[in-house]
Amino acid sequence: MKVSMSAKAFRLLLAGAFAASVTVLPISGGFAAGETLGAKCTNEGESTGTFSTSLVCAKNSAGRLVWTKVKLSASNLKPVNALRAPRGSIEFWHWRAEDKAWFDKIIADFETLNPGVKISQVISNSVDYQATGIQKARTNKKAALFTTFRGAQFNTAATTDFYTDLTNEQFTKRNVIKSMMGAGQYQGKQLGIPYQSLFNNPIYNIEIFKKEGWKLPKKFSEWISYCKTAKAAGYTPMAWMGGFRAQAGQIINSALMNTASTDALLASRITAIDTGKEPITTAWFKEMAEKYAELRDAGCFPANPTGVTEAAGNALFATGKAPILPTGSFSMGGIVTLEPKMSGNMGITGMNWTEDVNARYTGITNNTFILGVNKNAGKTEQQIARAFMSYLLTGPVATYYANSSKQHVTVLDVSYTDVNLRNTSSIMSERLVLAPRFQFLNIGVRDALEDALIAIVGGTSVDKALTDGAAVIKTKV
Amino acid sequence: MSRTETGARKGASPRPKNKLARSNDRVLLLMTLPAALIYALFYLYPTINNLRYSLTNWDGFQEAKFVGVENFSKMAGDSVFTKVLGNNIEFTFLVLIFQTSLSLLFAIFLLQNSRISTFLRTLYFFPTIISSVSVAMVWQFLYEPNLGPLNVFLNSVGLDFLALNWLGSETATLRAIAFTQVWFHTGQMMVVYIAGLQQIPAELYEAAEVDGASRWQQFKSVTWPMALPTTAVVMAYTTIQSFRAFDLVFAMTGGGPNNSSSILVTMIYLTAFNEFRFGYAASQSIFLIIFILAITALQRRILRTKY
Repeated sequence: MKVSMSAKAFRLLLAGAFAASVTVLPISGGFAAGETLGAKCTNEGESTGTFSTSLVCAKNSAGRLVWTKVKLSASNLKPVNALRAPRGSIEFWHWRAEDKAWFDKIIADFETLNPGVKISQVISNSVDYQATGIQKARTNKKAALFTTFRGAQFNTAATTDFYTDLTNEQFTKRNVIKSMMGAGQYQGKQLGIPYQSLFNNPIYNIEIFKKEGWKLPKKFSEWISYCKTAKAAGYTPMAWMGGFRAQAGQIINSALMNTASTDALLASRITAIDTGKEPITTAWFKEMAEKYAELRDAGCFPANPTGVTEAAGNALFATGKAPILPTGSFSMGGIVTLEPKMSGNMGITGMNWTEDVNARYTGITNNTFILGVNKNAGKTEQQIARAFMSYLLTGPVATYYANSSKQHVTVLDVSYTDVNLRNTSSIMSERLVLAPRFQFLNIGVRDALEDALIAIVGGTSVDKALTDGAAVIKTKV
Repeated sequence: MSRTETGARKGASPRPKNKLARSNDRVLLLMTLPAALIYALFYLYPTINNLRYSLTNWDGFQEAKFVGVENFSKMAGDSVFTKVLGNNIEFTFLVLIFQTSLSLLFAIFLLQNSRISTFLRTLYFFPTIISSVSVAMVWQFLYEPNLGPLNVFLNSVGLDFLALNWLGSETATLRAIAFTQVWFHTGQMMVVYIAGLQQIPAELYEAAEVDGASRWQQFKSVTWPMALPTTAVVMAYTTIQSFRAFDLVFAMTGGGPNNSSSILVTMIYLTAFNEFRFGYAASQSIFLIIFILAITALQRRILRTKY
């Protein structure tokens, strides 16, 4: 990452001042290029970046918050280089057609480093991949490297003994950010490596917020006020796309994140609904649903919200008619394609649905595109897949992938040079929770409850929408 | 053949086939084999397998467990299934009525082989050659409630009360998709009708004219009765097409909002590939096959009594 000399000097000066006055900042450890240091080490867990040399704000033995060398991976050791692959050919199965060109380049480089190796990509669109990808890959001995979505699809592949165990691989221990690996774990084993780190939080138009002098809402009542102010100023406050469940459902992550006092409680509540033990008319879910109605009544959503398509929602945001796109970081690439001027003009913010600014969580992250090695593939094919995976998990390769695909990754020592990734990297220092939406493993149930919430935004009363939704859920469990 | 000859034939034993004829029979039989094999492999086997899966709780991954007729009894109490079946009947009815009548109307007006008729026939037939997903995308854009050209137009001419949330309202969506389906396939059925109407002997119209029949009377007494066999084909085809409108529905709304535009085929797909309840989806598809067969048989019976 290129950093101007003055900025770099300022940063070092700031770091030096910190070291002298506040903490035991290990300057000798140094910062990796492009890392940012918070003004003060006051937020426990706040990190300067995702490098093996990064610093994290943590309590020392005396209980004081100090900048300390980060331990992002499972081990303190430096990341390892890629493994060597034996001769042979494999298929790499995934759903990201938009990444084909980047993977082609990465594969070509890997094949040069490993003569006699041939890797071909087998790409389906995400809907098809979700539906049939796993079934097709598991019976194909060449499909040695495959990917899954977090949640139901990973769970299905894990329970049907499709993965080889990656727990003891050095790249698992040393090359990836440990806290982002949960999505690939099953019964204590690391079966898959989530490659992408997404942030399912609203994206905002930096220029509009600056021009209008608005501050980013930090609690629910501020979101209500924002909607009223933005609407009065002639904007559509949120380009919410109720006509496309996959994107309309993103804000349920934020809605859910602070509904329980512990993660375990939230997980058990979700499981209860998912398995039909509890209906969605239950008190906690109803309380959350009522907030959808509050947002609706405050004019947060576009007119005719349930009919707004993904294309229309994106257009509202890209053209500046809506200052907020309530989807996630993954939408930024599409927005820049629609309107190149939006590049560098997008920030990301958490959506706190409580009145407590110190709520447990302030934002959402999701780790997906889970790489796995097919247990049913041949031994040589498995070795090639493992070697290619280790190559993808090296800093330089992941840096290339991240900046090309405009996606954050779970790999250590990645420099985010893309302006949109840099602008949204700030969210990484917030108190993030793994997107709870994907804890619903029964897709039929999840669709039904999301339909109920969409109906509320569309004008249906909370009671009717939830009762109707509960009736549908009964047929899905 | 005379009665005597028949009697004589009856008493006689069948003449043994000569060697060449028997060899010809074998060759002919062999020639049907590739088609029969393809049919058995891609139609018969999956159908029988589907029947087998419909009696299991197979999730697409794990060992299937035999559950008897549980899936079929579950279907009877499944409110979503009932709703979707109702949607499908409404959708088929709307498409059947409008597509059949419009295609007949267009065929009558464009029956002459004039230059303008040929041009208009081509124009009306054109949607048929577009891929269904493209049609869905175009109409999704047209129907967009806030930025879509349809509502923008209606609002601009003061007809804002007609500017609906076309694909986002539970009451309007199914009808909006039915309209698209009619737009998509009317041209195709028009061509079938034109072919049928061109077979009607001109003398019948000449005789009707001599008798002083008006255009309407000519239609009622000549065109319509003579077009009934074609109508039977058009209606059967339209019915099957409406039950199979998966691509249009799936691409336009995915069956939403709240299953209000879902039809049986989209539900079967989602049950199998979204919810991974393959056993239940198999039983739904068995129902679909029987339902289409019953409707088609009913249509044939009704129309057969008419001509």
